[in-house]
Amino acid sequence: MDELDILKQNWKRTAENFPKFSEQDIYAMLHKKSSSIVKWILIISILEFVFWLGISFLMKDSQSTRQMENLHVDYITIPMTVIGYMIIIYFFCKFYINYRKITATDNVKTLMANILNTRKTVNNYIIANIAFIIVSCVVIFTIFFQRDPVLLDTLSKYEANGDASMFYLIYIAAAIICMSIFILIIWLFYKLIYGLLLKRLHRNYEELKKLDF
Amino acid sequence: MSASLEKSFVNQLQENQNLIHKICRLYTNNEDAHKDLFQEITIQLWKAFPQFRGDAKFTTWAYRVGLNTAITLYRKKTRTVDTIEFDNKLHKIDQEEYNYEEEEHIKLLYQAVQQLNDIEKALVFMYLEDKDYTEIAETLGISEVNARVKMNRIKGKLKKILNP
Repeated sequence: MDELDILKQNWKRTAENFPKFSEQDIYAMLHKKSSSIVKWILIISILEFVFWLGISFLMKDSQSTRQMENLHVDYITIPMTVIGYMIIIYFFCKFYINYRKITATDNVKTLMANILNTRKTVNNYIIANIAFIIVSCVVIFTIFFQRDPVLLDTLSKYEANGDASMFYLIYIAAAIICMSIFILIIWLFYKLIYGLLLKRLHRNYEELKKLDF
Repeated sequence: MSASLEKSFVNQLQENQNLIHKICRLYTNNEDAHKDLFQEITIQLWKAFPQFRGDAKFTTWAYRVGLNTAITLYRKKTRTVDTIEFDNKLHKIDQEEYNYEEEEHIKLLYQAVQQLNDIEKALVFMYLEDKDYTEIAETLGISEVNARVKMNRIKGKLKKILNP
């Protein structure tokens, strides 16, 4: 007889020593708040959507946007705004569809896959947003370099001194540093969320996948 | 959700609560965590209850939701509390059949099971519940052959833990 069979004999008797919850206890439990990982994923994901939406509104109202308006480049800014909203709508719909698929009555592997899929949608949304912001910045910088009178004026002064390449270097380096810091902060934030929420889920999912090669 | 649905749910859960206690037994090691997990499973069962159809047995349906909650949905609290007292309470054997050696051995077995990972514990749970491999495989979402192979490995692993 192996160890598990010995345990099996005791298993049935163990039930006698468990605490017995009354109907009142169970009623009370029903009205307590869940601490399920899915609930936290939903809260965090919605906050992320709100955060990025907030950023796009803030950018709309910023000084540089107003400056852009003065440069009369609607043929670029309008398609960019439309693309920005399409990204939000596409990912939010995808997130909602994936979220609805999560059900505790699925088998363990499917449930885990659905949860990770939902999270992956939000991650892709963040990646798409970062890519969109980088592309927007490149476009904005290019337009400013070509059309902004103040910038062109400063550039011509540097050119007169023969320092044009230095001017470009400073501008591009500053832009790259700002972007890198921004991406690093977001990356750290995600590492933290993953560390707190999904480490165990990832580990268990990998274990199941390993079993079912 | 209606009051009658709530009553029917509470009745069925109260009658079959041992099943949930057994899951909590394998996935937690102190009284607070046991109650906490029991509560989370209750909430998840209640949420899924409208989809529960009478054609399946309440226990069959409940153990799947229970396992899913324990393995995937439940967020463990990081608190650690001394478990010896709790272990003793749960392993206690009736006075007339009290056997110190047997009790010690069972305690060691439970401690060994506690060292397994979440997926291995699920397999052990279903094995102890006398589920066949078709059901074990279906519940985990893996093939029957792989469920058998894993079960044999777990037995080996437990042997190793107990006889290092």
